[in-house]
Amino acid sequence: MSQTETLSLIQEIESLVSDQLQVVSYKWLSRSYLISSNEAKRLLHEFVEKHEGELEVVYALSGWLKSTIPSYHIRLVTGQKLAEAQQEFDGSCSVQVYSVQTSIPKDPAVLWNAEFIQAEELFKQPASVDNCLRDNRFCGISNSSVQRNVDGQTAVSTTPQIKTVAGLAPTKSNIIPQPPKNTVHNSIAKVDLKPQNMVKDVKSESNGTGNTGVHVNINKPTAEKEKPLPLPTGKKKIQADKSGSATGNSLASFWARPSAKPKPCSVPAENSNMITNPAEATENAQACPHEAEEGDSGDDDNQGVTLRRSSNRKRRVVFDFSDEDEDEVVVNLASPDVPSKQSSQDSRQNDMEFSEKATLNFDVPIENKSMVKEERATEKKVFQPPREDLSVINKCTNTGKSSTDKLQSSTPEICVNKDSVKKATPGSPKRRKVMKTRIDERGREVTEVVWEGEETEAKKADTVTAKKADTVPAKKADNTASTNAVNSAQATKKPAATSNTTGKGGSKKAANSKDPKQGNILSFFKRV
Amino acid sequence: MLELRLVQGSLLKKVLEAIKELVNDANFDCSSTGFSLQAMDSSHVALVALLLRSEGFEHYRCDRNISMGMNLNNMAKMLKCAGNDDIITIKADDGSDTVTFMFESPTQDKISDFEMKLMDIDSEHLGIPEAEYHAIVRMPSSEFARICKDLSSIGDTVVISVTKEGVKFSTKGDIGTANIVCRQNTTVDKPEEATVVEMNEPVSLQFALRYMNSFTKATPLSSTVTISLSNELPVVVEYKIAEMGYVRFYLAPKIEEDEEETKPQV
Repeated sequence: MSQTETLSLIQEIESLVSDQLQVVSYKWLSRSYLISSNEAKRLLHEFVEKHEGELEVVYALSGWLKSTIPSYHIRLVTGQKLAEAQQEFDGSCSVQVYSVQTSIPKDPAVLWNAEFIQAEELFKQPASVDNCLRDNRFCGISNSSVQRNVDGQTAVSTTPQIKTVAGLAPTKSNIIPQPPKNTVHNSIAKVDLKPQNMVKDVKSESNGTGNTGVHVNINKPTAEKEKPLPLPTGKKKIQADKSGSATGNSLASFWARPSAKPKPCSVPAENSNMITNPAEATENAQACPHEAEEGDSGDDDNQGVTLRRSSNRKRRVVFDFSDEDEDEVVVNLASPDVPSKQSSQDSRQNDMEFSEKATLNFDVPIENKSMVKEERATEKKVFQPPREDLSVINKCTNTGKSSTDKLQSSTPEICVNKDSVKKATPGSPKRRKVMKTRIDERGREVTEVVWEGEETEAKKADTVTAKKADTVPAKKADNTASTNAVNSAQATKKPAATSNTTGKGGSKKAANSKDPKQGNILSFFKRV
Repeated sequence: MLELRLVQGSLLKKVLEAIKELVNDANFDCSSTGFSLQAMDSSHVALVALLLRSEGFEHYRCDRNISMGMNLNNMAKMLKCAGNDDIITIKADDGSDTVTFMFESPTQDKISDFEMKLMDIDSEHLGIPEAEYHAIVRMPSSEFARICKDLSSIGDTVVISVTKEGVKFSTKGDIGTANIVCRQNTTVDKPEEATVVEMNEPVSLQFALRYMNSFTKATPLSSTVTISLSNELPVVVEYKIAEMGYVRFYLAPKIEEDEEETKPQV
């Protein structure tokens, strides 16, 4: 990096730190300015030298501890405690600047908030975008046996899909994911998840998908179930345009904020990629789900931790779907024939609870039900209406998106299921505003605020299901045509993040209704 | 522990007068670098960002970053009790749910303490990226206030267009139309009376005058106002607070009719 560049970057850092009071960490710096992490550390170091004493520095120490049991330790310490902390290390330890900020935040989460959001943004980008996180280009550590899938879906969605492929009909070829992905996914997922802003929904997602992977085999019909979610088609187009701003992304794209890189619409390209290697996919298919699940469950913990830190000012409870779910998954795998029973159960539930649930009732397995209960219990505590809903829905589309197409795994349905459960939360009003998110034909995520009525919705859903059953192919063609393109377009995590950004908007939108022409500031500025 | 002593207490009074109309409740964020606020109006059309840097205070102590939720109307009520020449000190203890405003008369013979309850405000921070604006207009703030006031008696929307010639404010109402053009004018005695137009690209945007008018409540804070415009970005109306910081108002433009449908449904 040339001298001038360095200088200008240092100035940037200065303004970020002193004017915007941002915590600038080397990770954030590296991703924002597309420099290698080492370069970023060096810059920060230089910056710190220049501004000695004017700001607070957090150092990352790593080395062997002096304790009896040798353990390798990485520790973040503030400038004042640096020397003290160094004493605890055996021999020499590496000292690198982790971040600079004007003051040491009370809540350590603030330290990685910025980079966290940034990572989230990066992962939210359409899967085809080869950003620095996906290809790991700035990381000093790489594993040659890991293949990165740039166009890919994440582990979560991959699993069900593959399954379907394995278990089901031949039509699949167009959606078939590339086999190598799976492995990659697991590894990537691990990496991803940590920085991701996975609000609890994501978590449930991963569990949910674990489950779904199982169901997929069972029921083809479910594939279409997800569709009721989408809004009237007329609106689709429009929504498409909105989607960006609705999620706050488009604004970001205007401004190319480092944390929110513009997202090129390169969806179609990917599509073609997607189609590759059907044969291989099937081969691998059977093996994959387990792997993927493992990956998921492993991540749960991570997520749990990060989730809490995800939102700036709010703390939220994180669902812990613990291991039972996974167990259940395993069970399911073994005996995938339960559907009929479930469906009846489910439909019963449907009656009580409204919404798209009806649409899914096909094969929500028993375990699922229990999970649902669990969720309900927790739900009461956590209930945060719009955000939650939104995110859940997001989740659906999200998973739906990745697996969509003809056979759409049952992932969406599970999500929807949960979703509906949420809505059914005791004490929820009969009609309420719900954020619906789906993918339009151009591969963009569309979020819409809809009034959801209890009875009407249930009915609708029922009829839809019925209809669907009849006209499956036709409908499919309709609805999925659009989703096709999108298919694997975006990384699974995207919605979660989106939900964060959009979450609140729904409820407040009304205020704006006075003047339809008046723009909304939220479409320009992103929530941090 | 937080203790901010502002010799020019009237400044804080003016700041509150400037923003209280737009925002009811907001979090004041204090860090070691300064005292800041960011809040949207209730309809999420406008956003106000305030910064008072620590250097502007006679004494500034902020041990920890702290965010204090205040009802701005109540705060303004209390600040009204301060004389214009009073020294205002803002104090808050860690973990306390109140904030204290202390007013000292310039002669030190009267000291008043007002304690106000804080509130828990659930507000989210928006990231406002730095942007290159297509056009930046600097003009006397009183002039801008006058224009907004005048135009709002004719219509409710102002079109601000910047061309090489200058900046044009126009509106249309039931009774007719109005156009006000301000030409670039740098040949004045006092620099604060100058009108400076920097333009990279012509810009024309529509805004609700209602908001513009409430922005002009900040006029007492600064003799000049800077209006930065870019197509497809919110306008920024900035009042600099001498040597301390700024109050910036962001206002989302109105969208042309045919694009109405694309309005984000956030």
